[in-house]
Amino acid sequence: MRHAAVTYGAALAAMLAAGCGYTPPGKPNPADRPRTPAQITDFDFLFQQNCTGCHGDDGKFGPAPPLNDPIFLAIVPDAELLDVITNGRDGTPMPAFARRLEGPLEEDQIKIIAEGLKKHWKSSKLSEDKLPPYTVAAKDEATSTADTEAGKKVFARACASCHGDNGQGSSEGHKPGRINDPDLLSLMSNQTLRRIIITGRPDLGMPSFAEDDGRPGDYQPLTSEEIDALVALLASWRNQPRSGATVTLNVRK
Amino acid sequence: MKQDSPMMQHLKHAAAWCDHRLGISEVWLPMMRHPVPKSVEGPMGWWYVFGSASLTFLMIQILTGIGLAMVYVPSASEAYESLLYLDYEQPLGWFLRALHYYAGSGMVVMVLVHMTQVFLQGAYKYPRELTWVVGVFLLLCVLGMFFSGQILRWDPDAYWGLAVAGSMAGRVPFLGPVIVHTLLGGDIIGGESLSRFFTLHVFVIPGALLGLLAVHLWLVLRCGVSKPPRPGESVDPRTYDAEYEQELKNGVPFLGEAMVKDMLFSALATIVVVLIASILGPKGPTDPPLPTMGGANPRPEWPFLWIFAMLALSPRDVETFIMLVFPVVVIVILVLVPFVSNRGERSPSRRPVAVLVVIVTYTALGVLTYLGATAPWSPKMHAWTGDAIPVSMVERSNVSELVGSTVFQYKNCRNCHALDGIGGRRGPDLTDVGTRLTRDQLIDQVSNGTPGGGLMPAFGKQITPAEMTILVDFLVSLRPEGTKPAGWATPEPSLGEAPPQAAASTDDRDET
Ligand code: HEC
Ligand code: HEC
Repeated sequence: MRHAAVTYGAALAAMLAAGCGYTPPGKPNPADRPRTPAQITDFDFLFQQNCTGCHGDDGKFGPAPPLNDPIFLAIVPDAELLDVITNGRDGTPMPAFARRLEGPLEEDQIKIIAEGLKKHWKSSKLSEDKLPPYTVAAKDEATSTADTEAGKKVFARACASCHGDNGQGSSEGHKPGRINDPDLLSLMSNQTLRRIIITGRPDLGMPSFAEDDGRPGDYQPLTSEEIDALVALLASWRNQPRSGATVTLNVRK
Repeated sequence: MKQDSPMMQHLKHAAAWCDHRLGISEVWLPMMRHPVPKSVEGPMGWWYVFGSASLTFLMIQILTGIGLAMVYVPSASEAYESLLYLDYEQPLGWFLRALHYYAGSGMVVMVLVHMTQVFLQGAYKYPRELTWVVGVFLLLCVLGMFFSGQILRWDPDAYWGLAVAGSMAGRVPFLGPVIVHTLLGGDIIGGESLSRFFTLHVFVIPGALLGLLAVHLWLVLRCGVSKPPRPGESVDPRTYDAEYEQELKNGVPFLGEAMVKDMLFSALATIVVVLIASILGPKGPTDPPLPTMGGANPRPEWPFLWIFAMLALSPRDVETFIMLVFPVVVIVILVLVPFVSNRGERSPSRRPVAVLVVIVTYTALGVLTYLGATAPWSPKMHAWTGDAIPVSMVERSNVSELVGSTVFQYKNCRNCHALDGIGGRRGPDLTDVGTRLTRDQLIDQVSNGTPGGGLMPAFGKQITPAEMTILVDFLVSLRPEGTKPAGWATPEPSLGEAPPQAAASTDDRDET
């Protein structure tokens, strides 16, 4: 009987100890307090949860075009960022994030991300003036043959060494592989093609063509027109016959 | 003899008055002192402490439950916030929640151990059949409390309980829709469902539990505590009563050593639970409830993990059986136990079948619970936007594979399939799927999903041919550096990595 009293007393003491002074390990840490998704307003968290899947941790080394790229951030207009994140890019894997388009984010959260990109990663050293403008001339597929002809010349000069004469890929290795593939190109917007040519993929070894950093002395950065001509060429490859490579989706009933 | 003070005299008088009217020393004291078989005083008596420990936990549950009910708001918009208030603002509110959770868990454990002991020692045999049957329903009440309690947390985990309850009820023939409507307070899971389960958790099930408990305790008193079994002593309903009466002639009062054992064990169990609660803290709430509760990643509480595992592991056609028929079968079997064998040997050493049944049951439950706890079958809802493609894969990708991996994310494949161990675990990790499946097999798998409407949905109608081509480019490339793709038969060094069979059948995509 007395034993029971003692043990109950010990239990009580443990409870009291839990109450005052010493913090037991089970007490929830306020920092872990869960928030409703709409309450989250810090850029890092929003970016991590919504963008790293494609654009990579820290905005680079992801499969989608890097967002943490000083040239990109120097030229991309604020309105464009807001628009892409809100509405996504039709026909490409860039999804719409706005709630009204069944995305996961509130308008103000999209704004936080759009503004945060520049706030976090933009470099003050680069000035927009010396770089070609971001926006592509031909947003849609309509490209003239004159452009594609001009494009072929620029391609031979600037791109063929890595991507092959006709974009069929180099014979040497696996990378960078074929870029004249209609299936591939149909999943990339003209806007992104232009942007990739301007910025390159510095994370993956494709240089920027709008800058002469690290290039030989006589190197001429591509002009805005040359870039559009290249985009026109790549866009025209979308209409090539598919080299028998197209899958037939034999969906069973 | 010293004269009591007038005050004392009045008090004694009042006490005697109450005692006379209530019949404490006349009825209740003798009841507490009812004799129990003598051997309960010995070490065998320690087998008899689990029932009273369950009772102790029930007291804790009632007390902590009352405390929680003072703060908890059973409304869809405020339930979750009120739990956060308890966890983070109300002094010791977190401890109250933790204790309620772990004492509740302790109760399930104690009830199960108690039942197992009664089963193994044949204590359910004549004349205690009804005590067992009532006990089975008490177990159901305790599980019902756990089930409804997890729903009150109103976080994504709550969703599991609701979804299972809803789809279980919906399968009842004829009455299904009516039951679903009553249980969920509507046709779908919503705010009303929370009110319904609050009512179940706070009024209906506790009411039933206390009622059944009264009957259970009365039966314990009426039939007496069973004598610890000894091999060779067998129960015969015709002679048992006389033998038991004889046994009690040299019995010992319950209010003595037996009670001390009960109290010691209960105290120990309480201390353990208090320690666990203060070390591990409250359970959940996890992520906030989503407006629709969709996109949840629900997980049941531990007593139900085994059902979770069973549902996840069995093909869809047997789901109705598992949800509807199986529980009824289990309950009927439990209820029938004392009617199948209410006589004969009680000692486990003479009842190998009973021992085997216990071992098999617990092994099965243990394995299923382990599977339910470790294999996270549930999809991971943020993986497609939040889990980066491993940098090593990005770095070795060519342009098609890069875009293919964005399609992989975009089509939510990642929510169920991990890469390098990161991502959902509903389906297999795809880090080296390129060594296992050929291009054709991959296209077939993505288009048609798991054969027979299994776990993986068919994407054929939700994906364009271009997306499929590029996606499969990426999947084929998923293999360790230097290894050949699946289906590679005749090495042709000059041709790089083309798998001849695949190339022959669908296309010339892999670099030639
Ligand atoms: C499912 C993959 C995926 C996710 C998740 C994703 N993106 Fe994208 N994103 C892409 C792809 C692919 C492109 C290129 C689209 C194109 O071809 O125009 C892109 C393009 C963009 C662009 C335009 C870049 C340019 O070069 O013009 C911006 C800005 C952008 N994404 C921002 C974001 C932000 C911010 C998030 C997170 C809120 C995000 N993306 C999440 C796949 C994704
Ligand atoms: C120094 C070699 C090199 C040169 C020159 C080069 N590229 Fe690339 N390109 C790459 C690499 C590397 C990648 C990344 C793909 C990979 O890692 O395999 C790439 C990727 C691309 C992509 C896909 C980008 C993406 O994010 O999916 C396009 C489009 C592209 N290049 C076009 C061009 C064009 C147009 C030119 C000419 C202006 C060009 N490249 C010049 C090496 C090069």
